[in-house]
Amino acid sequence: MNSLPDAFAPLSQAFAQDPYPAYAALRAQPGPTYFADVDMWLLSRADDVMRVIQDTTLMRGTETVFSPEERRALQRAENFHDIPHHERFVQNNLLESDGPTHARLRRQVFRTFTPGLIARQRPMIDTHVSALIDRLEPRGEFDFIADFAVHIPGHVIGRVIGVPDADCPRLRVWSEETVRFFDIDRTPEKKARAEAAVTEFYHYLLDLTAERQKSPREDVLSALIASMTRGDLSEDELIATCMLILMAGHGSTIDVLGTGLLALLEHPKAMATLRADPSTMQTTIQEMFRFQSPLPFFHRYVTKPCEIAGQQFQRGDRIGVLYGAANRDEFAFDAPDTFDIHRSPNRHLAFGGGAHFCLGNHLARLTMDVVFTQLLSRFMTISLSGNTPEYKTGLSVRGLKSLNISLR
Amino acid sequence: MITIHFAHPDGTVTKAQGTPGQTLMQLAVDSSIAEILAECGGACACATCRVDISLDAPVLPMVEPEASMVDCVAEPLPTTRLSCQIILSAQMDGMTVHLPERQY
Repeated sequence: MNSLPDAFAPLSQAFAQDPYPAYAALRAQPGPTYFADVDMWLLSRADDVMRVIQDTTLMRGTETVFSPEERRALQRAENFHDIPHHERFVQNNLLESDGPTHARLRRQVFRTFTPGLIARQRPMIDTHVSALIDRLEPRGEFDFIADFAVHIPGHVIGRVIGVPDADCPRLRVWSEETVRFFDIDRTPEKKARAEAAVTEFYHYLLDLTAERQKSPREDVLSALIASMTRGDLSEDELIATCMLILMAGHGSTIDVLGTGLLALLEHPKAMATLRADPSTMQTTIQEMFRFQSPLPFFHRYVTKPCEIAGQQFQRGDRIGVLYGAANRDEFAFDAPDTFDIHRSPNRHLAFGGGAHFCLGNHLARLTMDVVFTQLLSRFMTISLSGNTPEYKTGLSVRGLKSLNISLR
Repeated sequence: MITIHFAHPDGTVTKAQGTPGQTLMQLAVDSSIAEILAECGGACACATCRVDISLDAPVLPMVEPEASMVDCVAEPLPTTRLSCQIILSAQMDGMTVHLPERQY
């Protein structure tokens, strides 16, 4: 059996600062590597990862894998029990479902996230980002993450769902308090805060749903209400879908905005090229997602005996797919450790793949497009101020704790 | 082998050879056809492997989930198909497939 490379220490700051040597060591192993801490087999090569996420016998959710008793035991082992609203709306949703249920849930919402419909959000995002920059500009120096990026994705997603502008700041708090309980460190306090956040968000969405039922608009909530009226979606599924859209997109987009800007700051020629030729924006954004994938780690459950990358698996085994490692695979990308804003095609796996391919990818890319377009067009010089930025620790997210910059 | 002619928007053509049972999307990706993004990898979940194929070409008609997904592309035409849902067969030998300017 392969043993974990020494450099693979996901909770260490050294790994957070540069996980890529550890990922390279994992890719060099002949097959999957067992990660005992979380009882999971890790896959790191692009072709193995792609094979797993395309395999319809490997499930994201537990419903079709385990018996109700096994699921309850698993839920307790993960400390996901005794939080009724969290169980109802966060533990059961589009992401945690598979097969026909997943296809039905995704069908209800996919059409509201098409590139054409998402592109219509550009003026809204422009206005919001512009106002934020207006407020920060007089300061000259600020934390790009805490003062700027954290105020963008949740707000934008809220508006797309149909939340009024004035209420959007509340979404950010609800999302962050819920997501924080996914960390390995699941303290009682985090658990209570997550349940409280989900409960508040639930009641808020119930009220907004009642309002939209009376007067529908062109927003995601109204589309989901129409699905509910047709009998294609239950009320719980509607609520859970709205919550998932927010939680999946908020933190991850903050993270890739930060690492994306840092990549430009560390590659001044790339920044100058992007400034001189905005037509490179799309390939630049794709490369930002590949270079520092904001959600580098997902998992699937095995439903029946199978062999993957030379390893035999049994029902209930859990496989971890390391998108962050796959996106630096030298067999899938030329010069994978080079930040190349012209890379095309750029078939990265940062949005996952298969049936669970990221629903909000166009909205995330549009948000980044607006942010970087505005920053580069409004400021002649963007530079790092302060020390080398630190990354957050952990395996599931990749993002900066802070990014102090100055603008001129 | 099945020869497919991928017609790029600039008028050039890339000739690629596939095998029966392979998807048109996979052939495009294996042949480094940059216009085919195929971001979801072939699960009919992203609508970024759009192609346009003449209505009289020897291709089976659309069924679900392609039929639901195909109108998520920008300005779909009656000829628009998702290449991940088209499985190559011997009858397609010599077929021309038109690639879009962009997928989104």
